[in-house]
Amino acid sequence: MPTVAANIRRGRLTPLGWGGLIFGALIMVAPLLWTLLLSLKNNSELVGHSGAALHGPYTFENYVAIFGNSLTTRWLLNSAIVALGQTAGVLILASLAGYAFARLEFPFRRTLFVIVLLGLAVPSQAVILPQHELFAWLHLHNSYPGLILPGLVAPFGVFFMTTYMRGIPRELDEAAMLDGASRWTIFWKVIVPLTIPAQSTLAVFTFLGAWNDYWWPLISATRSDMYTLTVGLAAAQMNYAQTSGLGYLMAQAVFASIPIFIVYIVFQKQIVRAMAGAALQ
Amino acid sequence: MASLQLTGIRKSFGATPVLDDINLTLEQREFIAFLGPSGSGKSTLLRIIAGLESADSGEVWLEGRRIDTLAPGERGIAMVFQHYALYPHMSARENMAFGLKNARVSKDEIDRRIAAAAAVLEITPLLDRKPAEMSGGQRQRVAIGRALVKEPKLFLLDEPLSNLDAALRLRTRVELAQLKQKVDAAVIMVTHDQAEAMTLADRIVVINDCEIQQVGPPMEIYSRPANSFVAQFVGSPAMSLLPATLVEGREFASLKLGDGSVVHTKVPLAGLPGGELRLGLRPEAVRVTDTKGTTKAKVDLVERLGERTLIYAHLAGGQQIIGEDEPYSQVRLGDEVQLAIDGESAHLFGPDGVAFHRADA
Repeated sequence: MPTVAANIRRGRLTPLGWGGLIFGALIMVAPLLWTLLLSLKNNSELVGHSGAALHGPYTFENYVAIFGNSLTTRWLLNSAIVALGQTAGVLILASLAGYAFARLEFPFRRTLFVIVLLGLAVPSQAVILPQHELFAWLHLHNSYPGLILPGLVAPFGVFFMTTYMRGIPRELDEAAMLDGASRWTIFWKVIVPLTIPAQSTLAVFTFLGAWNDYWWPLISATRSDMYTLTVGLAAAQMNYAQTSGLGYLMAQAVFASIPIFIVYIVFQKQIVRAMAGAALQ
Repeated sequence: MASLQLTGIRKSFGATPVLDDINLTLEQREFIAFLGPSGSGKSTLLRIIAGLESADSGEVWLEGRRIDTLAPGERGIAMVFQHYALYPHMSARENMAFGLKNARVSKDEIDRRIAAAAAVLEITPLLDRKPAEMSGGQRQRVAIGRALVKEPKLFLLDEPLSNLDAALRLRTRVELAQLKQKVDAAVIMVTHDQAEAMTLADRIVVINDCEIQQVGPPMEIYSRPANSFVAQFVGSPAMSLLPATLVEGREFASLKLGDGSVVHTKVPLAGLPGGELRLGLRPEAVRVTDTKGTTKAKVDLVERLGERTLIYAHLAGGQQIIGEDEPYSQVRLGDEVQLAIDGESAHLFGPDGVAFHRADA
């Protein structure tokens, strides 16, 4: 039986099918729309009844207020530095490790790879206490390295790049060797360009994971100027939600999701392909 | 001075020996084919010369320089891979320039060499295309071009024609033969296709069971096979080998087949061992005849090839034999036919497979 997706591709869908899809889409979109509407309302109007968000007048004053609070932009910057730093670091480390596991012969290669794979099975919660102590001992709390470094331990990234690179024919490495290329040239000029689809998939997931991460920044960043956006917004919710108002809080939420939104739009193809790939395997 | 020299090359993968004491010398500008069945070690030998595998022992010398201790890129060798191994993300031009850039050749010189190679191979319009935008034949030309521009001392071709369809394979074979005239380097081609080896090579190196079985010009390999393996591997269809016993003769050996018929050969009697021998007959030495022949056989298969008809049959003793008939042969499956055996072109092999050659061959 053809799937719904296949039917849509063929332009064949019954009215019932359309209705089902629209209903599903509404359920997904409604909270987002609600957030957006609330963020566009004057706070005092919402104090009485949040249903006021369903009609005008709408205002941008909450967004203006965000830029009035110096900390929000600081949190945004922190999130960007942490997410981009982790993404760049994971791509570099996972590619290098992937190449090593896929191509080089060295002692304990299999054992090390198994250890990397075991890393996939260890939940981050299980190691959070020793991790916290380690970073306290290193005096890395409340710093960018403290926020970025734990995210660089990416067993999935290493596994993903290893598998991908194993799929690249070895003849290409050999042709490059005969072309006088060094190991580094082979890695950088032949292998890495061929892994761009894998790199972009890994980059998107790493960036999203880092941007949305809450727990580690909550533990590591105790000074408000080192908060990431997720931690900062949660703190704002606890402290100011009743006083500064719901509209302001929602404006912060919308503001925080804009970068994610952009990433999704730009890398839509990679995300869908990665999801489809994961589903097929 | 010899071009390439291999001395005492040995290689095993774990406990499995792959090459055992390989010695070989190539002359300048010589085209050599390594011919052998799958798993014979011919590709491993090629990879040892290229530096992609290291030998357990032995030395490789190229134009007076020992190269087996050098990295593949420093050996002065270019290789065309079986699956071409073009870099998929680079255009044909970039593929050809890659090795030259690594060797720090000047940009003008790179451009000049690419233009010259592209003209010879007729791939100038393809230079800015990526491998995915080319046909198999075009990719192969680019792969050859990538080897040409390096102006190597030795070309290695690993099964260069095996990925092409039949028509293109024939055309490329002719083109490779023409190309060989134009390059100033020795060429080694690995193949399991004897027709390729016969048409292209100056000399063929037949490899089997980790060892070189025979080295020689194509017709010598065909007409004077050193042993029963070479005799059966070279030539299509394979030579029929029939168990036979020596009967008394004066100067040349006469042999009795299992069904009692006798074949008079031109192999000198002197030096032949007693006991069981094997008579080697190429299909063209066994003809179907209307009159009484040397022996008779029952037909198992009739293969019509157009210019001739091959008859696969078995003798009364059960031995398989392959013979020839006219293009419009009337022979049918199950017929009993008379076979005239041309004893003068028969080959003779001892119990260990070693050949005893005819006086004239």
